[in-house]
Amino acid sequence: MSFVFTHLSSVLTFPMVFGERYELREYSRMTTAGSSEPPGDRQNRDGELIRLMAEGDRRACADLYDRFSRPLYSVALRILNDQSEAEDIVQDVFLALWEKAGSFDVARGSAFGWAITLTRNRAIDRLRTRRRRSTLLSESFVEDLPGGSSTVDPDSADDLIFKEKTIEVRAALATLPAEQVRALELAFFSGLTQQEIAARLSEPLGTVKARIRRGLLKLRDTLTRRHD
Amino acid sequence: MIDDRQQELAALYALDLLEGAEATAFTAELRRSAELETLVRELRESSAAYSLTAPQVSPSSELKMRIISRLSDKPAAAVPAAEPAQVLFFRPAVIIPWAIAAGLAMGCFWLVSSFVRTRADHAVLQQQLTLAEVESSSARNQLEAERILSNRQLADATTQVGQLNQQVAQSTEKISEATRVLGETVQQLDRSKSELTTRHTELAQINEKLAAATTLVGELETRLRSEGDLAQFKIATLASMAGNSPQALAVAVWNPKTQQGILRVEKLPALASDKDYQLWLIDPAYPAPVDGGVFTVDPATGHAQVNFKPNQKVNNAAKFAVSLERKGGVPKAEGPILLLGD
Repeated sequence: MSFVFTHLSSVLTFPMVFGERYELREYSRMTTAGSSEPPGDRQNRDGELIRLMAEGDRRACADLYDRFSRPLYSVALRILNDQSEAEDIVQDVFLALWEKAGSFDVARGSAFGWAITLTRNRAIDRLRTRRRRSTLLSESFVEDLPGGSSTVDPDSADDLIFKEKTIEVRAALATLPAEQVRALELAFFSGLTQQEIAARLSEPLGTVKARIRRGLLKLRDTLTRRHD
Repeated sequence: MIDDRQQELAALYALDLLEGAEATAFTAELRRSAELETLVRELRESSAAYSLTAPQVSPSSELKMRIISRLSDKPAAAVPAAEPAQVLFFRPAVIIPWAIAAGLAMGCFWLVSSFVRTRADHAVLQQQLTLAEVESSSARNQLEAERILSNRQLADATTQVGQLNQQVAQSTEKISEATRVLGETVQQLDRSKSELTTRHTELAQINEKLAAATTLVGELETRLRSEGDLAQFKIATLASMAGNSPQALAVAVWNPKTQQGILRVEKLPALASDKDYQLWLIDPAYPAPVDGGVFTVDPATGHAQVNFKPNQKVNNAAKFAVSLERKGGVPKAEGPILLLGD
């Protein structure tokens, strides 16, 4: 019996070890290229992983998790300010990516954009449900947005892919007026409606809309120029 | 060409901030415009990039395994399975126990994973059901809260309408009062106009009386002068000297008491523009004639009537003379004497 279990464990673990080796090798190839990998290549690789996921390739899903989990989790945590709920959201998103991978069309946007949209929408849905409950219980509304976990992880090799992009985005935001940055921050992370954002900022609705428009267009133009 | 409004809607759409009819209308607009669709895609990518500004935190290490273990099987899965077989090399005698063990293991693994998956699905469904119940309850409560709020707003609106009606009634009263005051003011104005007309008539009558009194005073003065002072007046007739102006004639009346007189001349020649006639009073008390002032005559008739008052006191006006002098007169006679009389 012990012989059977010994060999059984060998049979079961070997492919996993092999798979992990594969993942490590593949992952290492991608991450060591990290900061120098051109954005176009990165997006192509993301799209390829989604295509493999559509065919049922779990390793591709594991690869995509390694590439996306940190930014997706960070967004969910920023919105919900709750680690457990943020992990639930990331899990839901990856299961959704797995199920809907076949419907992904690279012509409609990047895989990362798709994953971020799914994460943000689910996090905001949960945040609004929580707020409705809180409102009905007459709880006071949290005045400021959650500032994220106090223990920010240091950048690991896994996240070098996004580190350069993050620096670019922050540099682009530094060129925007403060009021446009504030409007974008509330629009993206707060889960508030247009009217609620206007009320929060004590500004007319038209002004808030114009700030969001100008801020997002300027961000697009700046990021596009950097890649040209 | 995308205008500002479309840019604004695209930005809001990319951030999922459009709701209701606005979102529906923009989605329809998006289907019709490839350019707009491109803009939305670019803005979505920008907002995805913006997400990287969140403080970067890693999830727990268990999450990856949890997710991978929950991935469902796919019929079209194309996991490369041949590679390990090529790497491994087993003798045929060893393959049979390995195959049995593998079969058993696969069976156990399938049973366990099916059980775990079913249990997880059940938990997820139960969680979703609970969540749906909570959301349903929340929605009911929210509707109830909105109903209460609406009732309160309706009550407030009714109160405001009542207050507005009161204000309208008060305003109407004020308008009536103002109309009444205006009528009284118009009546007073009419009365004032009537009084003013009466006063004007009275003033005209007073003016007439004043004019009559003035005339009477003049007559009295004339009478007094003719009765009392006339004897003191000196009246002199001035005649032409040496044929300078043979037809000229002048009469001077002098009142020594008031040191004033009147000179009336006829048919004196018209003056050149740089000349004046000058009257002189000759008093023996002074070595030179006393200046009586300058005058001009009507160029057509040579007529003039002048009131004069000498610049020195004249006690005995023995003679009067008229000379032709420079314009404005001279302190001592220089020109020819035209008229002389005593």
